[in-house]
Amino acid sequence: MKHFTKLATAVALGTVLGTAAIAQELYTPNLAYRTGPFAATGIPLMNGQADYMTLLNERDGGIGGARIDFEECETGYSTEKGVECYEKTKGQAIVTQPWSTGITLQVLPKTNVDQIPILAPGYGFSPMADGKVFQWAFNMPAGYWDAADMIVQYLESEGSLEGKKIAFLHLDHPFGKEPLPVMEMHAENKGFELLPIPVGLKEMQNQSAQWLQIRRERPDYVVMWGWGAMNAGAITEAVKTKYPMDQFVGVWWAGHDADLKLVGEDGKGYKSISWSFPNMDAPVMQEIKERVIDAGLSQTNEEEMQGVFYGRGLVMSMILAEAIKNAQENFDTAEIDATQLRWGLENINLTEERIAELGMEGMVPPFSTSCANHTGHSGGWMLEWDGTKFVKASDLLTANVEGYSDLIAEASAEYASSNAPWEMNEECSATN
Amino acid sequence: MLNDIFIAPFVDMVEAPDFLMQVLWEGLVSGILYALIALGFVLIFRSSRIFNFAQGIMVVFAALTLVGLFAMGVPAWISVGLTLGVMFVLAVVIERVVLRPLVGQPDIILFMATIGITLFLIGFGETIFGGENKVMITEELGIPTGDTVLEPFGGLLILQHLDITVVIVATLLVAGLLAFLNYTQMGRAIRALGDDHQAALSVGISLQTIWVLVWFIAGIIALVTGIAWGARAGVSFALEVIAYKALPVLMLGGLESITGAIVGGLMIGILEKLFEIYWGQPLLGGNTETWFAFVLALIVLLFRPQGLFGERIIERV
Repeated sequence: MKHFTKLATAVALGTVLGTAAIAQELYTPNLAYRTGPFAATGIPLMNGQADYMTLLNERDGGIGGARIDFEECETGYSTEKGVECYEKTKGQAIVTQPWSTGITLQVLPKTNVDQIPILAPGYGFSPMADGKVFQWAFNMPAGYWDAADMIVQYLESEGSLEGKKIAFLHLDHPFGKEPLPVMEMHAENKGFELLPIPVGLKEMQNQSAQWLQIRRERPDYVVMWGWGAMNAGAITEAVKTKYPMDQFVGVWWAGHDADLKLVGEDGKGYKSISWSFPNMDAPVMQEIKERVIDAGLSQTNEEEMQGVFYGRGLVMSMILAEAIKNAQENFDTAEIDATQLRWGLENINLTEERIAELGMEGMVPPFSTSCANHTGHSGGWMLEWDGTKFVKASDLLTANVEGYSDLIAEASAEYASSNAPWEMNEECSATN
Repeated sequence: MLNDIFIAPFVDMVEAPDFLMQVLWEGLVSGILYALIALGFVLIFRSSRIFNFAQGIMVVFAALTLVGLFAMGVPAWISVGLTLGVMFVLAVVIERVVLRPLVGQPDIILFMATIGITLFLIGFGETIFGGENKVMITEELGIPTGDTVLEPFGGLLILQHLDITVVIVATLLVAGLLAFLNYTQMGRAIRALGDDHQAALSVGISLQTIWVLVWFIAGIIALVTGIAWGARAGVSFALEVIAYKALPVLMLGGLESITGAIVGGLMIGILEKLFEIYWGQPLLGGNTETWFAFVLALIVLLFRPQGLFGERIIERV
């Protein structure tokens, strides 16, 4: 009996202490993909995300005194596993980061019921920009429709698109089809021919048929919506078929240093729109090197650290950290919940000054969010491969959101009606 | 519509013969690579009745081992030798640890065991080599990387030296394999085991030795395939999915037939490319390569359930 009492006391004490320990943490799970066919893209991004949170934990003791538990749940980029990870982590989570358009579309209706914010920086469903309808979903700092608009703007800056032909090489997957409405709208308005060319998941490494079609059709430009192994496959085929690299532009997920290193000098001139840039001179990079990498707390390496994707991972975690800080200050508590974090995400105001204060000058354009605007529409830079690395090839481009705001409203309303009953944010009075 | 199906494609072929030659060349290169992967499956199936689900991951594992060893400072050709050593050790371990304890078990158990091998190699490979995309050591191995531009019929035909090398090496490998299987004692033992398991065992053919040998040969094929595909688009775990392309090849050619794997691979490689370019892209929006080979194989199976070159098995019940 005496032993039983001691054991019960120990268990009770352990539970209390354990609960206290959990309460001091902000549980921000990441549905990561470090394995499978898309791992090459995922690893640097996940490393960047994790390293920024590690920096905050090591340097500041977390955010507002609460440590960040940035647990990863491995999905292998599989939608089924992603949903399992969401269900497994949602109990304690104040945010979910689904990391694929397929997973985002699956968990989107669930988060509206579970009331957990989805943070999908630069990916997911573009109409998530409408915060009144998608009150729990965020894809800041820019969405795919922004990317499509900026790419078309950039191509137009090189000369009228009237009568020209643009091949749209895309992964045959929800992600790859996402920008089609905006591309089709521009094709109609600007008078160019849009030629969609799908690439199946099993054909990512063997795109000779797609590039034979490109050779036959002789498009003026190729716009690529690629992910993972598709990008390397496309870039090597472009070199092989001698397609002019300066007429080849990709979305931000098709701008990975490792993919371009496969072709090196032959890839010179290839471009990728991007809302992030790896500025090695930014103070945050030095701090990460000293406090995280040199301290052996990171899985990254010197080469990966200089790439676009690692830097983007850092920016993603910075956005989440900024939202957490906003919420903590507004609600005067370190231990914020999911609803409070939603407020934080809706009140991001990343000015040039604030970005500099965070030591990230030049790494992300300024942007702000509101209850109605969950994307921020930061704009982006056109990056260009110079044979060894990506460099900025344009000033900051901004999407003309007004041009497709009707599309956003239509797609949001359609989503809400087909998922009825769909709870919206009726209290939001902001217009953008 | 009838014009688009029955006339326009052939008019296109005649009007642009250089482009047709390019399509046929690309189809031939793909077909040879499909045939190589299918050969790995066939060899193991013939000798052990095991459908080796792990063939795809063996391609990734062999390629990763090669570039991994090179990254550690081992010279390129010594890395190739060491990789072959690793594939041999893998064959021995698979035979000793996985297959030998399962002798006599139903085929489905052995098939499940190869799924286990796949999952193990994925995890083991990712732990050792990481999941990042790696550059194949093409130049270091002396594989030519430029191209030859021809102008047949006043048009344009680009032949990548890498593809030419792949075609030559794959052809030599297949010829070597056929010679090995037909003219050596070990090769005949493999074929005997495939023809009649019990009879082969009764004349003293060692099941264990043959299994190690065929898994090692499958490992060699995996390494060649890994180098060829890796040189085209990098070495990553995405390479594993190309193994699925061998499934319709096996359905078409027959699981036991080496000739079937070669002819099936070439047929699918060339026909799927022709269909995609001349019918799929203009009429169906493209991306027909994901299903064309399976439909073709199913049509063949309707008339020849054993595949084009498979053996018709009649069992008394």
